[in-house]
Amino acid sequence: MNDAIRMQVSAFVDGELPENEAELLLRRMSQDAELRQAVADYLAIGRLIRGEHGIAAADRMHARVAAAIEQQEHPEVTDTVVDSVSKVRAARPLAGAAIAAAVAVVAIFALQQNTAMDDGAVTTPVSVATEVVPSVDAQQERNRQFFLNHAETSSELGANGMNSRVVTLRFSEELTEEPDAEENDVTDESDEAPTQP
Amino acid sequence: MAIKQRHFAAPLWLALGILCATHAARADEQPQDWLNRMAVAVQSTSYEGTVIRIKDGSAEALKVVHTVIDGVVMEKVVAQEGNGLEIIRNGNEVHCILPDRKSVLVEEWDNQSTLFSTLPSSDVRFGSEYDLSIVREDRIAGREALLLAIRPHDAYRYGHRIWLDMETGFPLQTQLISDGNAIEQVKFADISLNQEIHASALQPSMNTENFTWLRQPAAHQSTDVETDWQSDQLPAGFRAVSTHQETMQGSDEIVTHILFSDGLANVSVFVAANSGQLVSGPARVGGSNSYSVESGDFEITAIGEVPAMTVEQIATTMRRP
Repeated sequence: MNDAIRMQVSAFVDGELPENEAELLLRRMSQDAELRQAVADYLAIGRLIRGEHGIAAADRMHARVAAAIEQQEHPEVTDTVVDSVSKVRAARPLAGAAIAAAVAVVAIFALQQNTAMDDGAVTTPVSVATEVVPSVDAQQERNRQFFLNHAETSSELGANGMNSRVVTLRFSEELTEEPDAEENDVTDESDEAPTQP
Repeated sequence: MAIKQRHFAAPLWLALGILCATHAARADEQPQDWLNRMAVAVQSTSYEGTVIRIKDGSAEALKVVHTVIDGVVMEKVVAQEGNGLEIIRNGNEVHCILPDRKSVLVEEWDNQSTLFSTLPSSDVRFGSEYDLSIVREDRIAGREALLLAIRPHDAYRYGHRIWLDMETGFPLQTQLISDGNAIEQVKFADISLNQEIHASALQPSMNTENFTWLRQPAAHQSTDVETDWQSDQLPAGFRAVSTHQETMQGSDEIVTHILFSDGLANVSVFVAANSGQLVSGPARVGGSNSYSVESGDFEITAIGEVPAMTVEQIATTMRRP
């Protein structure tokens, strides 16, 4: 990635890239994993500078998936009842605690778990590379179930938000601690006065 | 020669005229008309493209293919990062394929929600808590788009910006807005709409014959009930729209689930027996805010895609006469 692209990414993350250039950059991002990573890194850096935790969604997703598979491979350590059924392509029920981890694989996006967000406390910055996946405790598991029930019921209502499906998918991915954040990472434009086109 | 040119020019001008008239007619439509068009478009439009999602320090790309065949939703989503996770939906059955683990998780989705679930259509009233307006024309993913803004009147709910494809009403970009800032953005970097989608595009990219298949149990069980739980300081515009008793997955515990809605934002309140192990206070889960509090013999948790202050106010003001 050359300096010009780097500067573009930096401007994009700061919301200072002109719309037409941002459009091109987004297109490029759709084709270029390295560029996507660069944008994610810039965003993470911004969060670290502001004293927020970074996010390594893919890594944590792998960890969650690994936990699910681990339980599947060692059923004696849990109440999970899973058999390998590959040859007959029949799926068996997955039960108990393993479910929580298994659902994680549906996830594409990040989940933030915040236990101290009302006081605006700034926590010590941590390196993305050293971020540790916390264990899923009972409270988190309850919240997870509440969230899924909420998403499902909202969807049935037909008045769900635009991104509810995405959010539902996202939910299943991760549990990680996240401080209160001014969620201003996304490039943006200020509200404009309404006009008729 | 000149006659020939005029001969060709006539249909061209006619076509341009029709195009302009159509365009003008669509631009003159009211914002609610556009939302109605969008509601139809997300259910009926076939599309294929790349979605970029930016939130909380991560930018991720997804390849998506979506079509409806004989009323059955067919969808394929492939994560472009990590291990190449693929999600394939065939009607209500969803397969999550994990190439690196040689596993497939099977889930049942018993609703028609798609990657882009619809915003309220005409039968869902926004009430007086939001302004809906057309902001301007724009260009997204190489297509003409119309930007709609949904602005809340107070800080109890988020706003939305939606860029709709001028031709089809399909949402090309969405932003969730808090205090004028986009806190989440989903945008198509490229998209083709209503092109024929070959069946092979909806198939797994790999042979899963030797993979391990795991089935996710059915969704939670619930029963409609009446409850006397209510908030004595419910934020303006919210009202209870449903109440269920639900059995928590993996246990026999039954909770009461009350769903509040202002027509756009939804907040669920769960009332459970006090376990004595509740961690009171705010949390974030699945991109939503939640707030848990003890109330006598009960634990109350409010959760929803609303600001933290909204779930806190609702959770802490739940009462039973």
